[in-house]
Amino acid sequence: MELTLNEKRLLVALGPVGSADAASLADLMDSRREAVVQYANLAGERGLVDVEKHVSRRYVPTKEGRAYLGKGLPERQVLESFGETIPMRDLQSHPLAKIAIGWMRKKGWIAIRDGVVQKTGATAAGADEVAFARLGETGAIEDGEGVPDLLRRGLVQEEETVTYTVSITPLGREVLDAGLDLQEEVGTLTRDQILSGSWKDLPLRRYDVTKLPKRAYPGKVHPYQRIIDEMRRILLDMGFEEMAGGIVQSSFWNFDALFQPQDHPAREMQDTFFLGERWPLPKGYERVREMHEHGGKTSSTGWGGTWSAEKAEQCVLRTHTTSLSIQHLATHPEPPVRAFCIGRVYRREAIDPTHLAEFEQLEGIVMDEGVNFRHLLGFLKEFYGKMGFEKVRFRPGYFPYTEPSVEPEVYVEGLGWVELGGAGIFRQEVTAPFGIEHPVLAWGLGISRVAMLRLGLRDLRQLYRSDVEWIREMPTYGGRR
Amino acid sequence: MAIITLPYRYLERLTGTDRQTVIDRIPMIGADIERIEEDHVDVELFPDRPDLYSPEGVARAMRGFLGIEEGLPAYDVRPSGITFAVDPGLADIRPYLGSAVIRNVNLDEEAIESLMGLQEALHWAVGRGRGKVAIGVHDLDAVTPPFRYIASPRDRSFVPLDFEQEMTMEEILADHPKGRDYAHLVEKFQRFPLIVDAEDRVLSFPPIINGELTRVTTGTKNILLDCTGTDRRAVMTAVNIICTALAEAGATIESVTVEGEEMPSLAPAERVVSLAECTSLLGLSLTAGEMAGLLRRMRFGAEPDGDGKVRVLVPCYRADILHDWDIFEDVAIAYGFENFDAALPATTTVAREHPINAVAGAVRSVMTGLGYLEVIPFTLTNERVLYANMQREPSPGTLRVLHPISEEQTVVRTDLLPLVMEMLQANKHRELPQRLYATGDVVVDCVTSQKVAAASIHPAADFSEAYAAADVLCRELSLSYTVRESADPAFLDGRRGDIIVDGKIVGVFGEIHPAVLNAFELEHPVAAFALDLTAVPGYPVLPGTP
Repeated sequence: MELTLNEKRLLVALGPVGSADAASLADLMDSRREAVVQYANLAGERGLVDVEKHVSRRYVPTKEGRAYLGKGLPERQVLESFGETIPMRDLQSHPLAKIAIGWMRKKGWIAIRDGVVQKTGATAAGADEVAFARLGETGAIEDGEGVPDLLRRGLVQEEETVTYTVSITPLGREVLDAGLDLQEEVGTLTRDQILSGSWKDLPLRRYDVTKLPKRAYPGKVHPYQRIIDEMRRILLDMGFEEMAGGIVQSSFWNFDALFQPQDHPAREMQDTFFLGERWPLPKGYERVREMHEHGGKTSSTGWGGTWSAEKAEQCVLRTHTTSLSIQHLATHPEPPVRAFCIGRVYRREAIDPTHLAEFEQLEGIVMDEGVNFRHLLGFLKEFYGKMGFEKVRFRPGYFPYTEPSVEPEVYVEGLGWVELGGAGIFRQEVTAPFGIEHPVLAWGLGISRVAMLRLGLRDLRQLYRSDVEWIREMPTYGGRR
Repeated sequence: MAIITLPYRYLERLTGTDRQTVIDRIPMIGADIERIEEDHVDVELFPDRPDLYSPEGVARAMRGFLGIEEGLPAYDVRPSGITFAVDPGLADIRPYLGSAVIRNVNLDEEAIESLMGLQEALHWAVGRGRGKVAIGVHDLDAVTPPFRYIASPRDRSFVPLDFEQEMTMEEILADHPKGRDYAHLVEKFQRFPLIVDAEDRVLSFPPIINGELTRVTTGTKNILLDCTGTDRRAVMTAVNIICTALAEAGATIESVTVEGEEMPSLAPAERVVSLAECTSLLGLSLTAGEMAGLLRRMRFGAEPDGDGKVRVLVPCYRADILHDWDIFEDVAIAYGFENFDAALPATTTVAREHPINAVAGAVRSVMTGLGYLEVIPFTLTNERVLYANMQREPSPGTLRVLHPISEEQTVVRTDLLPLVMEMLQANKHRELPQRLYATGDVVVDCVTSQKVAAASIHPAADFSEAYAAADVLCRELSLSYTVRESADPAFLDGRRGDIIVDGKIVGVFGEIHPAVLNAFELEHPVAAFALDLTAVPGYPVLPGTP
């Protein structure tokens, strides 16, 4: 049994007396009472001493109580200020009259008739006064007759005192008798000790390894950003080039280039954040206009009607990262292209646990000679598999700029089949105006949903609220479900 | 999204199969099951397939998909002899009218409800909230042909649906619930659209409300349909979808002569499509015969046409077929998405991280090493957080959204430091010290760029902590800089420095001004810095902004 120096000193101090309270042990050991209690508890766990805790209650005067000490309770002071009788009006001028009159009547010391106060003669001191007088002599009293009355009147208050009695056990006596080495322990190693070799004889203080350390918090990447980075790595592993682009887009790139008709509900101000700014149309925009109006040179009929350049110039906060995909394809029309992007997108939604006005979207595109619908399903299976969703199935879907379109669903333990994102092959109406001659496979998903599944969140807002405690407690690795 | 109610009994009668088969298979033609109830199922259908917005339409498609009845559904149209004149004065108001007569309808309460449901869904999906197309159905026997579609003075009065007294059209816009909902579509015109019969009685005030006179009830035997609008194609789509749905339910369709034109014809459109284009898009090997067979299951007329072609007859209700690929998607759906063999192409490509994210990664690694915690604030914020709280002048390049959703989110952030300060405020009850950073997009004058901002709060946070952190980040990003005393009012005078690169201020650091601390309700000193990442040597310019 390796005792700390303090435990040893405690046993030495207890040796001659066998038992003592912590305060007197503190005097003996030249220490503080709280420290002695701590040493004693440690030694107690080893069975060397018994520690007994006593709680005692005493009553001490309150601020009001202190004002009466030595002078007596207000009713006594006032009673003694006059003879047998006094007019009520005169009595009321006494500074304590307010408190005293009620008590004098209650105790039956006086009677009041026709505005005159008359002593009754029965004015002996009650238990409360006796207790109060004792308080005056000793400064504190034990519970007893009269004390509850003083407590109720707010003249005394309870004071709890805890004392500890420490007694040496037979085992402790045995250890003490076997002899203890009281050489001073050392807390830290110094450079001198290391260099001189004096460390060989140093009694280094032992630490209690069962005690928890002080919590340290490392700098951290946000848990959501870690998931985003993991998805980026998956796509980089699959040979995709990363795209980036502006938050503000013209309606042309956000909608028109994607063959979204100009009267589409998504283009109304209820769903999309419009800005007052306008942005000039790119060169060759006429091919997009022709596509909308009559299908350009493809087998399409187009949407009919008249396409408005003015509408296309209006700036919006991008509603999807597909606006970046089509610009990437427009500048890289030669195959092969594999590109992806994870970026923030904006929808004009009121914020609640499952809706935000801004969130991250992931999007991947593949353009190559001979790629087809089977390859689209292949990329989706591969991507979701790498994300940890092993079971994936496909249903027909609808997106304005893809044909065919597909809705992938993944199987999540406890939730069943969950719809996760959308995919399809870009319509020719989208690709043809930019001279893209091969099919473009495309898929996208709102990754905040994946993050919620992974981080076990019920409220989407928590991702962006950045509660410091949540980030501190979320493990860097293995925190996923 | 359109949610359509399908009563089992009616659906089973129309499809000729049991409810469970329909519920199991309907998602594979493109629908989401919303709710399965005792006597009906609610399904959500896609906006490009308004022809499915009725039990009749769903049954028609499911009969094909399940192999019960294949090929093009044929609809006979006989002339009714009824004519409809269109007032040229409507050219700039609401020029197009589509019409039809539907005889021998058998309307119980459920059928009326289903017809109203189809009408509402079409108003949404095809009519764009009645602006592009509005639909009216009338009891034909309550009125006398011929009919006229006219531009009427605004003070003409009639009894609108659900009311008992006559109202002028202006009163309807002000006082009738439908009038208030749709007044914005017509109120700018001098005259209003109106449909009247031979005796000048009012059938309808499109696109607002019908007259009470022609209300459709369970006693109605014959219907007059009117579809008015601003787009001819959309108007005819609505006519075709309603007529064919009612024909599926057993009614007979008769044509109306509108300004000399017989309508509707309900005839299919023909497309000759390429087998090779289809198989290479889908990655399937099919013969022309197999492809035609799959299309017939989707209710197209389809026959091989020699020379690798397939002749396709597109039903008149399929408004979604704009392009040959729309037909190929139906081939894929009939083939069954579950039967496709997923595969990866053999081409190899070389991956490349975007350089902007390479810089962001370096920032995260340095800030994490310094013990800072990353936060991800919103990009939408407000001028109080961005400027007033920071004691800063609003940046002239600040973008305001035109119709903000709340007072908290009115502008796009131009800087990150105010949002990091807001994060400190949100976390003021958490244990100190707190060191937070954020990196990401900011927008000034429509141009997106990236910044980083960091703030440290604890009783001993000071100028040297801020300077040391800013300095180490700059050094780690190979950014050589000089420092001048700053005038940034968000920081304390004498304890603030500007980071200068090529004579331009690209960042700031120092002790946050106590008034700013007060504004964010913070109780301890904050050491902070912010840096414009576009100053990093070799930083890429984003293409195509915006």
